[in-house]
Amino acid sequence: MKYIRFKSAIALATMIVLPLHVGATGRMTCEPIESTEWISDVALEDKLVSEGWKVRRMKVDGGCWEVYGTTPEGDRVEAYFHPASGEKLLVAQRGKILFRAEGVK
Amino acid sequence: MKSFFRSPSPFWLLMALPSIPMTMAFIGGADAESLLHPTGEFAARFMIIAMIISPFRLMFPKSRFWMWMMRNRRYLGVAAFCYALAHTVLYIIDMGSLSNVLGEALLLGIWTGWVAMFIFLPLAITSNDWSVKRMGRNWKRLQQGVYVAAVATLLHWIFVHNNVGPALVHFVPLAGLEVYRIWKTRKPQLLNEVSG
Repeated sequence: MKYIRFKSAIALATMIVLPLHVGATGRMTCEPIESTEWISDVALEDKLVSEGWKVRRMKVDGGCWEVYGTTPEGDRVEAYFHPASGEKLLVAQRGKILFRAEGVK
Repeated sequence: MKSFFRSPSPFWLLMALPSIPMTMAFIGGADAESLLHPTGEFAARFMIIAMIISPFRLMFPKSRFWMWMMRNRRYLGVAAFCYALAHTVLYIIDMGSLSNVLGEALLLGIWTGWVAMFIFLPLAITSNDWSVKRMGRNWKRLQQGVYVAAVATLLHWIFVHNNVGPALVHFVPLAGLEVYRIWKTRKPQLLNEVSG
């Protein structure tokens, strides 16, 4: 019985304490812009493909373009791009930040 | 009707329901990647449901519902494993090659998922009457590995997207119930210590 309690106590402590230290890096947010200023999905995909990316899926998230795909280096990533300029803002491979543009939190 | 609820069939049926739209989507040509999230989420949900049964039994010892759940707990674990297996297979399909899989295996968000999967494996394999009888006490000890798998799953969920919210929505209730269980099972002992 003691053994069971010890194990659950450890599991529990980790569950409670850990998230406090992780801190929500969360998702990206981009400054709101006029809908006419948005770069189209086709245009952004063309730009990325020409740079060597493979694009699997894209959607709008937090006012940015969010792209699921593969970088020219071959990493499967989730990446955020500026909605107007298509500038690369944040690239994360399974949660690990590979690239963060200057000024991006 | 009574015998229907006594048999595991309604349970299997309920647990298979979420897989129907997923299978349809897959047959319909959906990207493996788009099914990663739902399969993983249901694996975690079924694992959590299996884990909350005993604290709820402690809370409501006379409840027939939780007694029924307790009788079917093993099936919940097997269902969690099946969704986790689908999740892993889809992940491998999506990655496309072993070198791609290995290439990111050491990332915190990924190896934690593998750890959970490898713990699930012996738990699922031994989830049958024959193993329960044969292993005796060790069966329970082995199944307690689910606590480690739960922590690994939580870490996997948080770090694979670097997002705490959705994982916590699922795990905080479990943590709360585990606190209750520890408190509840400790109390008689404390009283004994005081009076003794």
